[in-house]
Amino acid sequence: MIDVNMLQLTVVTPETTLLNEQVLSVRFPLEDGEIGILPDHAPMVGRLGIGELIVTSSAGKRSYFVDGGFAQVKGNAVTLLTNDARDLASMPAGSAARLEEAFQEALNRKARTPGEIQARQHDMDRNRKLQALLSQK
Amino acid sequence: MAKARAIIKRLKAVKNIRKITRTMELIATARFKKALDRAADAEAYTRKIAEIVADLSSAELSFTHPLLQKRDQEERVLVLVLTSNRGLCGGYNSSILRILGQRLKELQTQHKNLSLEVSGKRGLAYSKFSGLPVARAFTHFEDKPTFAEVDELATRYAELFVNGGVDRIDLIYTKFHTISRQVAVRETLLPVQNLAAESESASQTTSDYEFLPSAQAILEELVPAAFKARLFKCFLDAAVSEQIARRVAMKGATENADEMIGTLSTRYNRARQSQITSELSEIIGGAAALE
Repeated sequence: MIDVNMLQLTVVTPETTLLNEQVLSVRFPLEDGEIGILPDHAPMVGRLGIGELIVTSSAGKRSYFVDGGFAQVKGNAVTLLTNDARDLASMPAGSAARLEEAFQEALNRKARTPGEIQARQHDMDRNRKLQALLSQK
Repeated sequence: MAKARAIIKRLKAVKNIRKITRTMELIATARFKKALDRAADAEAYTRKIAEIVADLSSAELSFTHPLLQKRDQEERVLVLVLTSNRGLCGGYNSSILRILGQRLKELQTQHKNLSLEVSGKRGLAYSKFSGLPVARAFTHFEDKPTFAEVDELATRYAELFVNGGVDRIDLIYTKFHTISRQVAVRETLLPVQNLAAESESASQTTSDYEFLPSAQAILEELVPAAFKARLFKCFLDAAVSEQIARRVAMKGATENADEMIGTLSTRYNRARQSQITSELSEIIGGAAALE
């Protein structure tokens, strides 16, 4: 069972389960700002934003990138459902340049319908945040 | 002599075909295992979505979302068909196309405005043959559909549905029940039905949730996410079913080839024996005539 002072963190994307482990605390972006979760948090369901997921486990800190979705906190179980999640440490070299390219592409893309505009905004946000996170390292 | 040689030629051909079908069976088995693993991985997401839906419904929220609304007049119907790109998979494509045929007839009698979207070369060949206009064709979904690809499709459908471009979206694909049971089915993709019903299997423990920023905002995001996850699952199901169908078909073909090799070998041996006998009797006859 789950240790009293630990959180069971599960990160799932539609394609796979990225993480399923016990951690001390997690921090992740909600739609309107960052939230930190420690053991014994009140039950919560939230909308995830785009940004960095910081996992603190007994082995140290690790950071991941999450792209929208939901967070559910229930007892000491934290579940993040996200469209895309990746380990920042394992991002290949040169991906910063590709992100810049993708950002420029999104910036110059023509968007007319509300859906297209939203998609463009999302792509821009996503690439900008990923770039920022990569440059921090 | 000629007969025995003709049989041997056929025997060689059958043996070659057996090698090919056997290899294809092995490939299909390997692909099927991979596809099944992917489907199993993806299931965690759908299960969690269902759980959150259950949590939301316990919050006594009225489920209203554009994607959930059923239209009174379903004038424009979009049908998406998932077939395979390659053949040699038994009845996989034909059972899907049979359902498509039925559905098309139904829609025609009701004089609905239909647009047909087909994924897979087999389905495209069928619609070309029967003269059906295909609005959009996809051939890039192989045995490993990625979420990004499906997401693109789902986003377009959701938008089309919300702005009134279509009133209903049907999906025809092969549903994966178990390894030994896959059924071609027609399901309604949009409007999203029984979102809450699907969640009944999820945990029923109710706890007081805090919704950030609000339950309504989560619902707004959740319904499209559930729809996308569902479409993605259908694609994965179709991929798994295709590989199973191909494996079964190729297994049957290999077994048939084995049987044929057996009968052909017997026939060859008989032909060879009778040839030797007749040659011998000719020699003996010739020798007897000389005496």
